[in-house]
Amino acid sequence: MRFNLFRQLDGAESGGTAATSPLLAPPHAAHQEPTGPIKIQTRDVSVFYGDKQALFDVSVDIPDKAVTAFIGPSGCGKSSFLRCLNRMNDTIPIARVKGSIRMDGEDIYDKALDPVLLRARVGMVFQKPNPFPKSIFENVAYGPRIHGLTENKTELADRVEQSLKRAGLWAEVADRLDAAATGLSGGQQQRLVIARAIAVEPEVILMDEPCSALDPIATAKIEELMDELREEYCLVIVTHSMAQAARVSQRTAFFHMGELVEFDDTETIFQNPRDKRTLDYITGRFG
Amino acid sequence: MLLIYLLVLAVFSTAVFVLARRAARRRATVVKAHSAAGYHGAWALIWAAVPALIILILASTFDARIERTVLIASAPEAVQALDAPRRAAFIEDARIVGAGGMPRQIWTGDLSTALQEEAARASRVDGALAWGGLIAAILAALIGAGLAWRQTRPEFRARNRVEAFVSVALFACSAVAILTTIGIVASLVFESLRFFQTVPITEFLFGTQWSPQIAIRADQVGSTGAFGAVPLFVGTFLIMVIAMLVAGPIGLFSAIYLAEYAGPKRRAVIKPVLEILAGVPTVVYGFFAALTVGPSFRAFFNWIGAQLVGGPLDGLGQHLLLVQNQMALVAGAVMGIMLIPFVSSLSDDIINAVPQSLRDGSYAMGATRSETIKRVVLPAALPGIAGAFLLAVSRAIGETMIVTMAAGLAARTTLNPLDTVTTVTVQIVTLLTGDQEFDSAKTLAAFGLGLTLFVVTLILNFAAQRIVQTYREQYD
Ligand SMILES: Nc1ncnc2c1ncn2[C@@H]1O[C@H](COP(=O)(O)OP(=O)(O)OP(=O)(O)O)[C@@H](O)[C@H]1O
Ligand SMILES: [Mg+2]
Repeated sequence: MRFNLFRQLDGAESGGTAATSPLLAPPHAAHQEPTGPIKIQTRDVSVFYGDKQALFDVSVDIPDKAVTAFIGPSGCGKSSFLRCLNRMNDTIPIARVKGSIRMDGEDIYDKALDPVLLRARVGMVFQKPNPFPKSIFENVAYGPRIHGLTENKTELADRVEQSLKRAGLWAEVADRLDAAATGLSGGQQQRLVIARAIAVEPEVILMDEPCSALDPIATAKIEELMDELREEYCLVIVTHSMAQAARVSQRTAFFHMGELVEFDDTETIFQNPRDKRTLDYITGRFG
Repeated sequence: MLLIYLLVLAVFSTAVFVLARRAARRRATVVKAHSAAGYHGAWALIWAAVPALIILILASTFDARIERTVLIASAPEAVQALDAPRRAAFIEDARIVGAGGMPRQIWTGDLSTALQEEAARASRVDGALAWGGLIAAILAALIGAGLAWRQTRPEFRARNRVEAFVSVALFACSAVAILTTIGIVASLVFESLRFFQTVPITEFLFGTQWSPQIAIRADQVGSTGAFGAVPLFVGTFLIMVIAMLVAGPIGLFSAIYLAEYAGPKRRAVIKPVLEILAGVPTVVYGFFAALTVGPSFRAFFNWIGAQLVGGPLDGLGQHLLLVQNQMALVAGAVMGIMLIPFVSSLSDDIINAVPQSLRDGSYAMGATRSETIKRVVLPAALPGIAGAFLLAVSRAIGETMIVTMAAGLAARTTLNPLDTVTTVTVQIVTLLTGDQEFDSAKTLAAFGLGLTLFVVTLILNFAAQRIVQTYREQYD
């Protein structure tokens, strides 16, 4: 079943003009497709920065082979929660995380677990593309090199090529792999960073507003890419674009003031939100 | 005296300022004034103070000179007959006596009586000059104030005038700085050219003999002097390399520790301490090198030498000490310690300028902290760090005090760190301290060395700044 945010909302308010917004059409009508089993399970996760609590008791089940979107007004704790999932909060000295987070049933905050190994399994893409000041090739080869994933040069070159292909960047950079990565356009840089994350073959890819610095065409490319990656990975994205969440995600979580207000199928969130705050947010009445 | 004049002038011009401001306010009630009253006041103040100030300064700078010229021109026969230096000394004594002091020399016969007359005349001329200057200054202040006062009309554009004056004054200040520098460089170049007329520049740059002491009598040893500066360059280079071997790694590693490992608390302690170290006067490092490090290094290396090779024995049956207090290693090591805070504080700034997003990107790939530093942070910071090192090198070769106290004077072309060597700066110091004739090749050689040093440090600083600059732009 295809759904449309505005039709539903319009229907609620003005009695139903059935205009279909092309913006909100999912690229591959992704939403009916079944999601995989639960990949990450969080229970009562709270985040503190010093004495200030930024996140309150968040419990979600994030499915594998699907895109899960976090939405909510600025400062509501989306990034903080996302950073819990690969323990990037460990790099912030004043941050503390409480509660339990299990990935494939394994507690990722277990004392015995090395966060460095966890981060090899949970890749992350940031809001602003952050390629290293090295060549395009070296950027993608970075992960395989530090984790010793390849035996020799040809294997490494193969893996770089595969990753760039999966990130949809190969055609554009195949002839200039030795050029500086910082010379690419913003959209290309963001896909390069995704290729860099893919190159270590993670199980989960976290993306924190990956398109907010990009133009609509580059955004469309990244969204297409997310939709493809969904077939193999567990994707979690933070976005400020309602339309983007509706287009690419299967599950959506709405955060407000550090609390998880609602977590459900994307369809349900946008068509039948249970909470008034969710409705207000997705219709643009606050936030 | 001058101080009192200045004080009076300050009070007067302040009064002018207040009055002009009041007048401007009063006159502006009918027509709307172009400028705020304060600008009219400031304009009047400028006119009251600046011309008078210039006259006072000129008068106090030149009055002694004018007085001398007047006195010499009208001196009696007996004085005119003296040769120039004696005459100058006589006039000087006349002025001293005229001011109520004791003459420095004993003048006999005609000169003795002439001295009394001249002294009386000197004190008259002195008085006239002082009064003349004062009256001129007072007149200038009054006329200036009067002129400005008449301009205190509502339509007068006092603000634009005052702003133009301020900008001219500011420009004059920066011009003074630039002109002085140009003057210094010009004299350096000029005197060096004179030096290179006596000693060919090729001999200076490539000659390997340095013995600038020219004997007074032609039959003594070393009557000609040799000005081949290669030993000095080698010595400077050797000490610089030793200093950088100490300061480079230690400075860089402490910068890495500060920027990447130390928490905010430790950083808050260590950073200021390093900055205090950077403020230790180099002369303190100098005597630290000469009195502490030098003797202990000598003892240590002589002991090693004795263990290793035995070596000749002296009259008391002890090993002859082959290593002296003054050696390149001591000067270089202490200079390196001096440079540590310099290198670490610059490198720390540069490492901190590497965007946090790059570190996050690396951590998110599952890299450890040391991998992140080694593979992302340092490569990203490398150009900037290279610039910091170049600045440190330029300081090392220009450093004077430590090498003067700890390196020695023997101009030897050696790369042995345990040898005594000398540097460009040390030689400049020895060439110019003590009694000198300004024209001798020996004195002029200092200018040649100074110019060489200047050119090298200029190039280094320029390169370093360019590197650091482009590095900054990369991340802005
Ligand atoms: N490093 C930090 N130190 C202190 N407080 C922080 C830090 N990072 C986030 N916070 C605080 O935690 C709260 C949640 O921030 P977070 O970045 O998770 O919000 P967000 O939902 O991602 O917002 P945005 O949409 O603007 O990115 C905010 O109040 C913020 O001030
Ligand atoms: Mg955020």
